[in-house]
Amino acid sequence: MTGSLAPSTFLLRNAPKTLPLIGVIVLAVMLIAGIVSIMNSIPLSIRTTYGYSKAYLGMTPRGDNEATPKIRRVIETESPVQLERLVVCRVTDMQVKSIVGPWRFALLGLPQDQMLWYIDRIGKGRLEGRLPAPGAAEALVSEPVARNLGKKLGDTLLSPDDSDSFSPRPVRIVGLVHMEPWLAFSSYEYLQANHFPPVDVLIAAAKTPTDQEKLDRWANDRFKGEQARVFAYFLLEKETDEMFKILYSILNVVIGLLVVVITVMMAMLMNIYQSQRLQEFGLLQALGYTKGALLGRALSESALVVLAGWLLGVVCAFGLLTVVRAVLMEPRAFMLDPWDKTAYLYTVPVPISIFLAAALTVMARFRRFDPVGVVERRLV
Amino acid sequence: MIQVCGASLVYEDHGREVFACREIDLEVRDGEFLGILGPSGSGKSSLLYLMSGLKTPTHGRIEYQGRALSEMSEKERAALRMQEFGFVFQYPYLVGYLTALENVMIACPDRDIRQESLGLLDSMGLASKAHRLPHELSGGERQRVCVARAMAGRPKAVFADEPTASLDHSNGVAVVEMLVANRGHGSLVMVTHDPKMLAQADRIVRIADGSLVKD
Repeated sequence: MTGSLAPSTFLLRNAPKTLPLIGVIVLAVMLIAGIVSIMNSIPLSIRTTYGYSKAYLGMTPRGDNEATPKIRRVIETESPVQLERLVVCRVTDMQVKSIVGPWRFALLGLPQDQMLWYIDRIGKGRLEGRLPAPGAAEALVSEPVARNLGKKLGDTLLSPDDSDSFSPRPVRIVGLVHMEPWLAFSSYEYLQANHFPPVDVLIAAAKTPTDQEKLDRWANDRFKGEQARVFAYFLLEKETDEMFKILYSILNVVIGLLVVVITVMMAMLMNIYQSQRLQEFGLLQALGYTKGALLGRALSESALVVLAGWLLGVVCAFGLLTVVRAVLMEPRAFMLDPWDKTAYLYTVPVPISIFLAAALTVMARFRRFDPVGVVERRLV
Repeated sequence: MIQVCGASLVYEDHGREVFACREIDLEVRDGEFLGILGPSGSGKSSLLYLMSGLKTPTHGRIEYQGRALSEMSEKERAALRMQEFGFVFQYPYLVGYLTALENVMIACPDRDIRQESLGLLDSMGLASKAHRLPHELSGGERQRVCVARAMAGRPKAVFADEPTASLDHSNGVAVVEMLVANRGHGSLVMVTHDPKMLAQADRIVRIADGSLVKD
């Protein structure tokens, strides 16, 4: 229907009835998108924080501190791809913050001549300060690590008093790399002299990202059952996915229930509003408007409300998530993606189920509708 | 124009058959003002709804220009009501969020009848209130808007079901005068329990207990 009976006319001229309906949908969409986005921020944080592992394959001996040369030999002789570099280093752990508590983070001990290569390998960025000197209690971190820990150049990164990020001597930050990936390293010599375990570990870098993935998968198969442990990005992805599988199942149930509750509530509200309009529908039908035309009009109105609510909800959710990211997350380098498509996809059942529920109630009402009952005042 | 042939309307009340109309034979002629007079519950409104296609007879038939309404589809009957008939009901039903003018214009959604509607409202003394919403009008004014709506699009027949019942006497008389004055060459069928409202009728039939009373 067009003109004065266009669906938008009713909606615009009955704002006190329309806006609460739209408001409920907006809030529901914001709630669902918010929950999913915050949930997704955890695996996103894992992938970002440990994203450096995409750049190389990490290998540590297991149960035998002397096994590193053997692992090195196997990689050098059997690698299915050409290696760009194979570096012997040390590793200890420190802690970074996340929205679900502290996480362990690798602090590598690199030989001096590998430090610049390592930074370039992880990502390009401007170096502020300098590289850690060999054997000195010094470290270099990337900007997100410093932001996450609230540290700046010259601050102590590890210290004897810090049980979470321990080192027998205070380790100062002497270098800060301005780049997105997270990284932290000290000198090989400092870690060798001061940190447990006394084990050399290997990082193996392939020439291209495709080769790197090939190398990672090969190493995972090749060292199965051997005294070696593989650290690779695809394993991190796999573990993260498995870890969150159950959590996402629970999330699906919770959001499913939420959608049902909102749908029932909205269907009841819409039903009440439609009941209040029986006189209008009866009058129009008596004047010669067909049931089909009136039904189409009622459904168009419902579709408009639902669509407007959902679109506004998505915009508001995006705005809210952007604000949350700017105010709460970014200052601590926590991850949150306001553009997270999954978060918005999870909200799609809201408008669909509300529209279907509204359509069913309206259709049921129209099926037995008698306009004479209305104009004779039997129904109103 | 409209032929009622042995039409009955029966409904069930707790397992008992009740005749709202019983074997009625009646004709509405072109351009005439037919009054149907009867006490409350006599079946006069039911007869009006049968003649206008809003209800279907249980027995007998209603013909409009030779064609039985019961043979038409629901869609065809709806089109007939919209294109050929006009309605004024007992209560001044208007769409609450539309202005008086828009309420008149909904009578013919497929045609631009804005000027005609304004003219009708003017003739009802409502020109200055054309853009007011129903809640800003008095009961009498609302019913006059309903009369304008019934006349919009120049229908061939206007059916008025106790159009003065919810109005005081002077407003009631005014509404009937407007119906008569604006019907043009169309027929007017008016149902009422008040004989004074049918003073200008060309013909009056009486109904009691669902049957026409012969004079």
